[in-house]
Amino acid sequence: MKKMMRTAAIAAVMAAGALALAGCGKEAEGPYAGQTLHIYNWGEYTGENQIADFEALTGARVIMDNFESNEQMYIKVANGDAFDILVPSDYMIERLIQEDLIQKLDQSKLNCLDLLTEGVKGLPYDPNNEYSVPYFWGTVGIVYDKTKVSEEDLEQEGFNIFLDEKYKGDIYLYDSERDSFMMALKALGYSMNTKDEAELNEAYEWLVQCVETMEPEIVTDEIIDNMAQGRKALGLIYSGDAAYVMSENEDMGFFMPESGTNLWSDAMVIPKNAENPDLAHEFINYVSSYEGALDNSVTVGYTSPNQEVMDELSSEGGDYYGINAYIPRTGNEKDEVFVYDEATRKIISELWSKVKVAASNA
Amino acid sequence: MKRFPQLAIPYIVWSAIMLLLPMLLIAIYSVTNQGNSIVSFTFTLEHFHKFFTDPDFLLILWRSIGIALKTTVICVLLGYPVAYFIANSSERMQNILILAITVPTWINMLVRTYAWIGLLSDGGIFQSLLKLLGFGEVELMYTEGAVMLGMVYNFIPFMILQINTSLSKMDKSLLEASADLGADRVQTFLRVILPLSLPGVVSGITLVFLPAVSSFFIPKLLGGGQFFLIGNVIENQFITVGEWNFGSAISMIMAVIMMLSMYLVRKLDRDEGAERRVTGV
Repeated sequence: MKKMMRTAAIAAVMAAGALALAGCGKEAEGPYAGQTLHIYNWGEYTGENQIADFEALTGARVIMDNFESNEQMYIKVANGDAFDILVPSDYMIERLIQEDLIQKLDQSKLNCLDLLTEGVKGLPYDPNNEYSVPYFWGTVGIVYDKTKVSEEDLEQEGFNIFLDEKYKGDIYLYDSERDSFMMALKALGYSMNTKDEAELNEAYEWLVQCVETMEPEIVTDEIIDNMAQGRKALGLIYSGDAAYVMSENEDMGFFMPESGTNLWSDAMVIPKNAENPDLAHEFINYVSSYEGALDNSVTVGYTSPNQEVMDELSSEGGDYYGINAYIPRTGNEKDEVFVYDEATRKIISELWSKVKVAASNA
Repeated sequence: MKRFPQLAIPYIVWSAIMLLLPMLLIAIYSVTNQGNSIVSFTFTLEHFHKFFTDPDFLLILWRSIGIALKTTVICVLLGYPVAYFIANSSERMQNILILAITVPTWINMLVRTYAWIGLLSDGGIFQSLLKLLGFGEVELMYTEGAVMLGMVYNFIPFMILQINTSLSKMDKSLLEASADLGADRVQTFLRVILPLSLPGVVSGITLVFLPAVSSFFIPKLLGGGQFFLIGNVIENQFITVGEWNFGSAISMIMAVIMMLSMYLVRKLDRDEGAERRVTGV
């Protein structure tokens, strides 16, 4: 879910450096010595020791490329670039399954499904976890400055608080068509997976009203640092980013409207053309294990699907104790997972680009 | 002397494949529509129609050209004195100064623009400085000013280098002749130096205006997601919307606008040159 342009630039340089360095290391030992694992993951989305530890454990060499959007990843994979592990989001996994680009996991090689928390298993895009094992999960909600925003407004207005002129000039929107339309559709009381053009158009009008009257700043990951420094009152944010913001700044809160929100999950899958599926299964097991999941969640700040890690980090003494954003909400019937539908996706992207045009002409 | 024209063949083939072919594809994309399973594409002008009938797009196009023009004017006004100063320095100093202008361009533009985010953002150096001077909390990031600053900063080296080249190439004996004929320094500048350096200014304008009008990452980074220029519209059509045909059509429109403006600038330059010869400055 993270989108970081600078990471992409830096990662490219580092990858080149890593390749050069890898050549001079000693011959590694382990069950997979001499083999290579190609990972394609989001930028800034890996535990600080993940790669080194996995290499030490297996003796294999890991090469990681980063992407900044599901679509960017899709183009490469659909063009036939070979990777052993991908970490796409829910709706993109659905698309990859539909287009026959990823393979069923070999359950006999996996030992990790029992470790995962119930809330993240069997989500609609892959009901039996035949293709994917969750990597991180979370929701989308509102990050707010408790000193500037009244809880009452949040409770009453939900996502409609982004149209409340009391907070004009004091809000961040997230530059993502899916999340913006989710917010608008949920504010209007519709399903975020609606295919009804009239409802989509209403959502579009809602967003246009927002950008024309509220003077929002439409940002991506700048929201994380800016909210941590308390620069605006409100923003649309991924729960994992909110957890980080709240751990940095006590004045910040995270709110999930009762009208429902997006429950998302980024999960590990193995493409059809993977060169080393055995090693890929090994990697999935490692990342899901207590050690791998702890390292991941502590570094990145997103919610671990590993039950034990989730409990430990959110209980007293844990890194995210008392931070509601760390535990994704389960049990609200209006929360939904994204469903992939190409026709709707196209309508939404076109409308979102019109919203941005309206914003710059406002 | 024997010539080897066939040596140019690899180059011609290379540029045909790497330059002409992509351009041709964009041109084809811009006048076609993805068809169904029977016809792979159909010809249409609807993308152009869509662009020119939508006031929102035209407004953005207008603003993009305006910002690029302002950037170009600022670059000329700031770049000319700098180039003049460099051209009149000692040779050693010239080398050092040219190097100083060139060194930043060795670093990737994207990285340098990111540096500006840090400088301009809330609580950054510039805001603190303005606060110290009693201007209060001025919002610098995500404004047109920030975008202009980023553009001028990124493109001004091209202007300085071009003007400097034409200034330092100038035959110094012309200046002596001008002085001999009784012109003072201002007259010499206005009637000899300035006209002779105009070709440099013109190519400088070309090198600044073209990238400025189509730039998309500078407005994206310094202007924020709500600051759309025509380059962002094109990027958006290709990367997120997936409407390659419409994106190509806008690219073609931009290409035509750029060619026209270049033609006008060159013509202006030629006409002025002709005039100079006639009046015999």
